[in-house]
Amino acid sequence: MQSQTINKFRWFWAWQDEAEEDWLGEMSAQGYHLQTSHGLGFYTFTCGEPADYTYRLDYLAASKQEAEVYYQLFADAGWEFIGAMAGWQYFRIPTPPGEEPEIYSDPQSKVRKYERLMGSLVIFIPIFIVFFVVWDDALSPYIGVPLILLMVAILLLYTYSMIKIFKRINQLKQY
Amino acid sequence: MTRTDEITRYLPLTESTYYILLSLVEPLHGYGVMQKVEAISRGTVRLGPGTLYGAFTTLEKDGLIIKVAEQDRRKSYTLTQKGKQVLLAQVERLEIMTGNGQQVRANLLE
Repeated sequence: MQSQTINKFRWFWAWQDEAEEDWLGEMSAQGYHLQTSHGLGFYTFTCGEPADYTYRLDYLAASKQEAEVYYQLFADAGWEFIGAMAGWQYFRIPTPPGEEPEIYSDPQSKVRKYERLMGSLVIFIPIFIVFFVVWDDALSPYIGVPLILLMVAILLLYTYSMIKIFKRINQLKQY
Repeated sequence: MTRTDEITRYLPLTESTYYILLSLVEPLHGYGVMQKVEAISRGTVRLGPGTLYGAFTTLEKDGLIIKVAEQDRRKSYTLTQKGKQVLLAQVERLEIMTGNGQQVRANLLE
């Protein structure tokens, strides 16, 4: 028997992972339980009974071998693995009354999650450098204004993301 | 006995790390550590799996713990000699802290 599914669109930036966690919890409270996070704001939910779930997102880029140990630890601790999307790991657990389950129990370890995220984003810097260097030299006739504007917009967005994540890291480091 | 920099650079340990090291005096796997820490800390420290996984990775890389077994996708770790020294150094540090605390508490409760 196949249960009904619905698709939803909602945009979350990388630094809005906690807002995304809250939203997924609210969806479960309405009876929509996350089935797949496709990326770029698209989600599929199964339709069922309203339930109290806590959703938590981890950011990890582990090797296949290491991943097995990682997932087993979460499973042992009672967390259900829903799926992964571009390094983001989606977990949920039934919410015990009066508690707020966390996968990171202290701020110092949470900092490392955001540092890993920044580490992944930093990889794009060489791409931007290459683009702007190449633009200056040979390809200017071939690169139209729209593409340049797009690259500038992406660069600004990228910089803004890094700043937001950096601020979150500093906020956590104050504890 | 003076501690070498090699040991003291890890101090002070966070509560989580301290309890993880305490739990690994004998070999234990991840979930076992989570349960043991909650028990011996009397519920004051409850490790999240993300925190624990990260701690295992870092502690192993720093040479404070070593993998002793792997079964059914679960790794068991125990303290290395260096790990034991770091733990003992932290206990000494905590003795000073609690000594001070108990003294102040005695004064405050008079």
